[in-house]
Amino acid sequence: MYTLCSKKHDECLLRETMWRRSLRAGYSCFGCRSVGPKVIWGFHAVRACSAPAFPAGRITALQAVDIWKRHFEEKGVTEPDHSSQYIIAHLLGAKTIEILEQKKLTEFLSQEKIEQMWRLCTRRLSRMPVQYVIEEWDFRDLTLKMRPPVFIPRPETEELVELVLTDLQMKHVNGDAQHTCLEVGCGSGAISLSLLYSLPQLSATALDQSQDAVDLTRENALRLGLQDRLQIHHIDVMKDAETVMNLCSPVSVLVSNPPYLFSEDMASLEPDILRFEDHTALDGGKDGLKVIKQILMLAPQILSNYGRVYLEVDPRHPPLIQRWVEANVEELHYVETRHDITSRPRFCILQKKEVKQGP
Amino acid sequence: MAYRRAINLLPRVKECVFSMLMPPRSLKFISGPVRFHELLNSRCWGTTRTLHTGSRLMVAKLLSHDELFVKRSLQDYLKKMETEYSECLNVVNSSGTEEEQGCSEEEMRAKRTKVSQLAPLIQSIKELDTKQKEIAETETLLKDEDPALRELAELEREGCVQDIQDLRQKILDLLIPEEDEADLSDLVLEVTAGVGGQEAMLFTAELFDMYHGFAQHHGWSFDILEHMTSELGGLRHASASISGPQSYKTMKFEGGVHRVQRVPKTEKQGRMHTSTMTVAVLPQPTEISFTINPKDLRIDTMRASGAGGQHVNTTDSAVRIVHLPTGTVAECQQERSQMKNKDKAMKALRAKLYSKKLEEVTSKRYNQRKVQIGNKGRSEKIRTYNFAQDRITDHRIGMTVHDVKGFLLGEDLLDEINSSLQEFSDQETLLELLGENEEGS
Repeated sequence: MYTLCSKKHDECLLRETMWRRSLRAGYSCFGCRSVGPKVIWGFHAVRACSAPAFPAGRITALQAVDIWKRHFEEKGVTEPDHSSQYIIAHLLGAKTIEILEQKKLTEFLSQEKIEQMWRLCTRRLSRMPVQYVIEEWDFRDLTLKMRPPVFIPRPETEELVELVLTDLQMKHVNGDAQHTCLEVGCGSGAISLSLLYSLPQLSATALDQSQDAVDLTRENALRLGLQDRLQIHHIDVMKDAETVMNLCSPVSVLVSNPPYLFSEDMASLEPDILRFEDHTALDGGKDGLKVIKQILMLAPQILSNYGRVYLEVDPRHPPLIQRWVEANVEELHYVETRHDITSRPRFCILQKKEVKQGP
Repeated sequence: MAYRRAINLLPRVKECVFSMLMPPRSLKFISGPVRFHELLNSRCWGTTRTLHTGSRLMVAKLLSHDELFVKRSLQDYLKKMETEYSECLNVVNSSGTEEEQGCSEEEMRAKRTKVSQLAPLIQSIKELDTKQKEIAETETLLKDEDPALRELAELEREGCVQDIQDLRQKILDLLIPEEDEADLSDLVLEVTAGVGGQEAMLFTAELFDMYHGFAQHHGWSFDILEHMTSELGGLRHASASISGPQSYKTMKFEGGVHRVQRVPKTEKQGRMHTSTMTVAVLPQPTEISFTINPKDLRIDTMRASGAGGQHVNTTDSAVRIVHLPTGTVAECQQERSQMKNKDKAMKALRAKLYSKKLEEVTSKRYNQRKVQIGNKGRSEKIRTYNFAQDRITDHRIGMTVHDVKGFLLGEDLLDEINSSLQEFSDQETLLELLGENEEGS
């Protein structure tokens, strides 16, 4: 991974992104004007992505944050303030800078911490996502290990889990206790592990075409003590449909956050994503529907009666999916489209129709 | 500057108005609690009450049990309770003949409830009477010629005095009405920097840490919801959800303006500054008791613009929720998970909306009190932290404790002031009760 980063150093983009907007201006300037020791700037400024000079004297956490924030800004790294804040918070043993006591932030950093800060921030300078830099991130109630190139779960997927949970809890009230779940494309294991964590009755099977993803999901399951109720397989649904069908007996839930980007949009992704995340977890083919269609084709064979499919998709997809299913998969009924908290049509729910009971 | 002077002048103006309005006799009561009783017992109490309790001039005194029990109003009140009890008891005991007495089933039930409610109080009053008679008997023995007998009598008297103290405490506890619904709830604590710029923000951060310590000291959970820092490591505004037994009941006395007097770190010339911050303590409603229509909410996140989903990887998981009908806003960025931030912002928003609603209801009821509870709109200075003199003074009860540093740990010293406030508040409730009784008679 490291050699890859250094090759890309020269590509540091200066392009401003739309993601620079911050919800709050409060963090825009951390002061290191009054007391901070002088930091010598620009020694290596010729090289596009070199780190700022290692501080000569003692600096506080807030000053370190400020040095790196400004450096990230200068080098066009997205979310400069959040990046340096998350990294220092991580080094000081907290999840966010907001949780840290003020005292810790205004104390001088040890030499070791400064070195760690410089090492991690230099990784971020290569545009490596913060989640990979600090090697973990939170998803709902869980803290998950993150490792390139395994896809980093997005906040929308937290809502996908919420949808499934609400539905299953409702069924649970109705006495239908024992549920099984299949996840296609588990990545770091976020969806399956969250479901297992919230539903002690549930057992799940998770698939991914990437060995890295399978390994990471297994590692996360072990860390969370959920490995007993989770089966993990290295299978590509596109190539090995047969095995998938033989693998699991009918399940009541089929959930997936499949690759759904349109191939043509791949080029416009931020370098953070493009360089570090597994493209096969993102690229959904020409219309973004390649894997989605395959999942929906298989669904009737995998699901039990009235079993449901929950998908996270691109906002352009729901009407396309509905039309396609109505024309091509007779056994599936398109139940509804749900929106994410930014009001974009983001989730599709489908249900298997009842199969006539024998001859 | 002019503003600050005007504030300083205000109490003096009040003082003048106060002395002009008050009859000379009632002015004296400032010098001691004894006069206060007289006034309380006098007929003019009902009409002048608003002025007394509303004025900051009156130095509040915590009355001892002896002082309270000397009061005629209390004795009258206890007698009234006894009469009420025996009347109810008579009716209940002669049941079966309801029709003769013209009592409906409902009235009977009310009377039965009354009897069971009053029983512990009446029991204690009777015990107190007995003890008081006993003590009178020992008085005569104390004058006996036999020294051994005198010593015995002395011992017995001491025992009686202790019992009487305990019984009086018990009676007072029984008289003070049951806790409010809000007293049983958890709370959301809000701190906001006031007058004094960066120094006020630094002080706000210190007090927020103090309450964090206070929560730990009591074994309550302390969950930060909002946290907006200033450039120098101070706090503009922050809120936290606190939950645990008695948390609201205890914390409610912290609401109001806190004032700090010291030479700020930011001050180059070594001058003393006075800055303020405001604490609000909002009861946290349960899901069931208070609902919000999701349609009234607008949720802002970083991901609102652009395509979202797999297109974007952002670490900015901050969430802001606006309640459209009232314009109330809550935001959270404590968590790395956006959904958790949303849940926390929602929690803060619920508390804000609930307290607004609650304030409308309770403001009338509590307006007259000196020890007010966590209303957000409250602007009265309740406490001063003076670093030069190393003291903290609570202006509501005129209590001073020393060791500012120790106080800011949020442990025993804060507990000490807090329990005094609790006692004083209980006493106010009691006096209010007796006052009402008097007005009614």
